[in-house]
Amino acid sequence: MTEAQIIETLLDFIAADTTDDDDFNNLAMQIFEYQFENNTPYQRFCRQREKTPRTVRTWKKIPAVPINGYKDLILSCCDPESAERTFMTSGTTKGGVRGKCHHPTLSVYNASMIAAFRQRFMQGDDRLRMGILFPTPETMPNSSLAHYLWLALNEFGAEGSRYLFTDDGVDLAQLIDELERSQKTGEPYALLGASFSYVHVLDELDKLGISFHLPEGSRILDTGGFKGQSRELELNDFYEMLSNRFGVPRSKCINMYGMTELSTQFYDWGNGECPSVKSGPRWIRSQVVNPLTGEELPTGEKGVLIHCDLAHFNCVSSILTEDAGVEVENGFSLLGRAEGAEAKGCSMAVDEFLRAAQG
Amino acid sequence: MSLTAGFLPGLNEEDIDWQTLSFGRDKENVDVLVPILSDDQMKQLAAQVRNASQEHLKTLPVSNIISIIDTAIARFLDRQDPIRQTAEKYLPVITGYDAEMIRLGLTGYLKTFRQAELHRFLAEDFVNPKILDEFQPLPKGGYGRAYGPNVLAHIWAGNVPGLPLWSLISGLLVKAGNVGKVSSAEPLMASLFAKAISEIDPNLGECLAVVWWKGGDTAREQRILEEADTVVAYGNNDTLKQIRDRTPLTTRCLTFSHKVSFGMISKAALEPSKAWDVAHQAAYDIVRYDQQGCYSPHLFFVERGGAVSPQEFSQYVASELENFENKFPRRTLTIEEASGVAAWRQSEEMKSFAEDNNCVIGDEGGAWSVSYSEGEEKLAPSGLNRTAKVIAVSSLDDVPARIAPFRSFLQTVGIAAAPNELRRLADLLSAVGVTRISALEHMTSPEAGWHHDGRFNLLDLITMTEVERSAEIASETFANYVD
Repeated sequence: MTEAQIIETLLDFIAADTTDDDDFNNLAMQIFEYQFENNTPYQRFCRQREKTPRTVRTWKKIPAVPINGYKDLILSCCDPESAERTFMTSGTTKGGVRGKCHHPTLSVYNASMIAAFRQRFMQGDDRLRMGILFPTPETMPNSSLAHYLWLALNEFGAEGSRYLFTDDGVDLAQLIDELERSQKTGEPYALLGASFSYVHVLDELDKLGISFHLPEGSRILDTGGFKGQSRELELNDFYEMLSNRFGVPRSKCINMYGMTELSTQFYDWGNGECPSVKSGPRWIRSQVVNPLTGEELPTGEKGVLIHCDLAHFNCVSSILTEDAGVEVENGFSLLGRAEGAEAKGCSMAVDEFLRAAQG
Repeated sequence: MSLTAGFLPGLNEEDIDWQTLSFGRDKENVDVLVPILSDDQMKQLAAQVRNASQEHLKTLPVSNIISIIDTAIARFLDRQDPIRQTAEKYLPVITGYDAEMIRLGLTGYLKTFRQAELHRFLAEDFVNPKILDEFQPLPKGGYGRAYGPNVLAHIWAGNVPGLPLWSLISGLLVKAGNVGKVSSAEPLMASLFAKAISEIDPNLGECLAVVWWKGGDTAREQRILEEADTVVAYGNNDTLKQIRDRTPLTTRCLTFSHKVSFGMISKAALEPSKAWDVAHQAAYDIVRYDQQGCYSPHLFFVERGGAVSPQEFSQYVASELENFENKFPRRTLTIEEASGVAAWRQSEEMKSFAEDNNCVIGDEGGAWSVSYSEGEEKLAPSGLNRTAKVIAVSSLDDVPARIAPFRSFLQTVGIAAAPNELRRLADLLSAVGVTRISALEHMTSPEAGWHHDGRFNLLDLITMTEVERSAEIASETFANYVD
């Protein structure tokens, strides 16, 4: 298939009312073949694993590229120069090298995001008044999250929706204004932003002794977790604090799990219990594998997650994450990052060495 | 099955809270009870060790201490002895290492603590070991006597069986009272040793305590840091820094951080008749305790120009690792460890796409992997758990410059080279900070009396009291026989 055909097929797939296992598998095979043909580094990667479109029959066997692969390889079917947008990873590991995901068009990314966001966050509402606790795409042109939140605000934000973020971080005064207004008028409010932005806001509001009781129908979206941030919170404590401070039930505190290396996001149905169960729309599927052998693990066993995201058609659809998870009914539970463990003796491990060598 | 770890002379067992650490491997399970002491109990224990050390240990001739340790070690070496049987039976379950590897490893290791070896240990650090018993004349004039600390605190880490015995025995040799904190990953061996000592000589047993707290429990740790005269701690740099920061200024704090070791193979060792043996030895060093030791090799620099090429050598090593996997299978990895191995292997594979001659060899189950490189690779740790890198170099003489930037991480180099090369490389390597050079196959079993990380195991623990010549001379003027 050509790029144009792939895009058209994907847009149809996303727009369709239902699709079944075979539909997913067939399209996954077509996209695998497209990526294998048009992306030489990926082809070499597959050949080394002795997997080609001739030998692979199910999406579960498509070679999954480790997310770090984006830092070493150019994984793009189109000429990177011609891409409409390029999203880059944060580059906190591997000496600051940032992985790049090239998007020849954002139409598929946008369609995927809009369809899933409508179902999982809007939950029947057409528009909500929104406050975004994250920089704009103009400030962070290579951030997929900045684009995601901009899209949410543009597609689903009611009148008065706005960014509550300046060059110095969260604009606390404006945030308080907005939330007080919502309490007064009774108009439900939606707060969206990175998990660590909320930690800062919770600390500040605590200092000021301010709490809110937002109107029914209000909700909160956080994403990204706390890894590598100045403070790491237990998820249960985080959602308890969030719920108490804003007066939004934990079932309406929704966590989005996404990454630069995907064009589709996962959501939970609130965080009444932690860890919550995450799931995504019809065009993304996940499996839990043993990181060393790549073999799928039985339901209930802890492993790392592989995602096969059809919407990420230009790069590679199947990626091997560093996220630990366990398969449960109707989705998976995230169990944090499965980082390399420290040696059990006095030998040095890679992560420790990198930290120490960088001083 | 349930075992009790810890050794708490002077405390009433009934007053102590216990926590259970559960270990399982294959179908075997064992629970190990570890003590959780209150602040008062910790103080009481430290006081007990301090008193016993002052009253008993300081008056015991060092030769007697050696013979008591020797008797205890003999029990650990005797496969009929219940202590040895407990260690052989449960250490594999606790640590996950292959039972046969542990059995052989224990014997090889414990042999280095027999009577003759312990005397050698002393002789390494003291010209005249009697200086630990009484004042001895000093070459500069006057007299000196060496004292070990009354309370020596050990904070151990990791699961390599028996490692705590190094510092514990060092402590005993300099007549220190010891309070050792075992790691959650292997709480058994130090406890068994303390019990054995106590059964042989109850008085010496009073000078030894083995405690536990959960890693990161800074309150309990702080108590010991404050009670100790000297602290010996093992761990990563972050852990060690916070231990050092919290140790009182007047307390000596000796830290042993994590290290990277590697091998070097000269073209002289790559003759067809010798290369397989060398590869076997290299693989053995990788397999022993799955590279968890500071002396375990992560990579091998292999010289070009021999009959067997570096790339062929990497295949030999791979083949030997496969053989060892059948004989001593690798321990089952946690998901985090497996991720570490997978991440390393994947990153090596990515590099092999960029460089034509690089390649990664590994078994399908991920039990071992060897990455071969012809690039300008610098020193870096492998993914551990039987993962190693073979790097081709034009001359071994180029290696010291590559590793020089990593001075603070260097420890052991295993060398296969001709005598003149060995001497030349020893000069170059020692100058950039390597502290131990051994033969391949011996990297993970240092000689008795080795200088861990280049330090003096015993001298670092003692304090000298000197009676200067002036005092002697002055005293003569006050003698009753003075004219």
